[in-house]
Amino acid sequence: MQLFLEPFELAFQQRALLGGALAAVALAVIGTWVIIRGMTFLGDALVHGVIPGIALAVLFDFHVLIGAALAAVVMIGGINLVHRQTSFSEDTGIGLLFVGMLALGVILISRTPSFTGSLTTILFGDALGLTTADLITAGVVAGLVVVGSALLYRPFLVLAFNEQKADLLGLRPTAAHTALLVLITLAIVGSSQTIGTLLVFGLLVGPSATAALLVRRVPAMMVTSALIGVASVAIGLVVSFYADTSGSATIAITPVVIFFVVLTGTSLRKSAQAGVRPADPGRT
Amino acid sequence: MKPAVIATNVELGYGRNVALTASSFEIPAGAISALIGPNGSGKSTLLNAIAGLIEPLAGSIEVQPVGGMTRRVAYVLQTTTVNDALPVTVAEVVAMGRYAGKGPWRRLNSTDRTTVAAVMDRMAITDLAKQHLTELSGGQRQRVFIAQGLAQDHDILLLDEPISGLDLPAAQAIDDVIHDEHSRGCTVIMTTHDLAEARVADHVILLSGRVIASGAPADVLTASNLSEAYGASLLHVDGDDVFIDDPHHHPATTRHEHRER
Repeated sequence: MQLFLEPFELAFQQRALLGGALAAVALAVIGTWVIIRGMTFLGDALVHGVIPGIALAVLFDFHVLIGAALAAVVMIGGINLVHRQTSFSEDTGIGLLFVGMLALGVILISRTPSFTGSLTTILFGDALGLTTADLITAGVVAGLVVVGSALLYRPFLVLAFNEQKADLLGLRPTAAHTALLVLITLAIVGSSQTIGTLLVFGLLVGPSATAALLVRRVPAMMVTSALIGVASVAIGLVVSFYADTSGSATIAITPVVIFFVVLTGTSLRKSAQAGVRPADPGRT
Repeated sequence: MKPAVIATNVELGYGRNVALTASSFEIPAGAISALIGPNGSGKSTLLNAIAGLIEPLAGSIEVQPVGGMTRRVAYVLQTTTVNDALPVTVAEVVAMGRYAGKGPWRRLNSTDRTTVAAVMDRMAITDLAKQHLTELSGGQRQRVFIAQGLAQDHDILLLDEPISGLDLPAAQAIDDVIHDEHSRGCTVIMTTHDLAEARVADHVILLSGRVIASGAPADVLTASNLSEAYGASLLHVDGDDVFIDDPHHHPATTRHEHRER
């Protein structure tokens, strides 16, 4: 136990734990809808698509949240434009905007004097350098995402079931979809400072995907996902403290490792229940 | 009988794609009406227009009020259009029918819960309440979606291919519900691929990008009308019997139960 608590005797580690936990809760709640609605690629693209906005904010010295939000609006507008004007499926637009925005972000950052340092901070965040203001931002974002998801639970649920059904029941699927995109963007942008844009994705998808293997209802999935997310932050910080590895990267890899451990466990249990040996991967 | 739905020169479609060219017809109230036609003939589009999911490109299609009150419409979706991966139980799926008119926040009350329990009992899915959609057979899933439609207060029940792909007992159970709804005065409108099913309806609308004929089955399902809808190559006339030679049109009795996953 002492081994686990020792890293958190340092103030900057405590702030990293608190900031990371707040980000994990916001991402777990919204990640549940991302997984259920099959929006993982859009989530991934959004995570990277906000980089040029953050770069602009760094270059012209305005708040990164405003920059990231602007970039997200451009991104979603572009995806909708491609989807409406062509017969391509939505992922083509997502792919185009994904690479375009990421490249634009790197081009903008390459114009800054400390290119490598800025890029690393944006991609990997600075979990160990969080200020009180960062923590307040993370808290507000987590609060908004959790309250928003709770208030819009019914429209989101029926939209995920079937868009036409949502329309028939008067639950306004288009408005609900837009609200969901706003909450996803908010969670991603708000967390990118804590653990970095590249690694937000680990906490967005990993804990929710793991929860989907374990529980049978959406609210249970959100709670389980949040617990796994917070645990991942704590475990990641402890491991990085002792192994002297990058804090953000160690946090991000943890939920992915947990996912595969749980997947192996549930597969073994299913096989045991079915009374057969685990499936031979070579024969599937 | 007074019509429940009146269409006047209605043209339906999505964007620039017209699925049904200008057609005028009526659908009788308190009757079972079947919409039949080849794939892409506009059956589901017409159902969507009656439900109010799409606006006509031209003309009008209107659900007629009864006794000064708007007729309430419930819609049973095709099972294939639903997200199976959603972690919801059968009980939650059926309860969604009670969200109608409640908006995002108003809680379900005891009447709602009683209604949900009653329709689940009626569709014999009470035992499945805690199951997931992925754990059900095709017939069980269809019963869940019909229960969801029945849970919603309705005067018109729309069903999109309710019996398609089901085995005989499942199809029979659903057929019984359709006739129970009819008995209590509900207007039932359903799409079908099955000529035999259309023949036993009260009213038939034959579609092929437009309304070819609308009226009593014997008047609508004639060899000449069917040949116009399906093309002569798909039709086989054997004495007084007409068969459609299309993989989608084998009668339900010869089909095996189809599991989606």
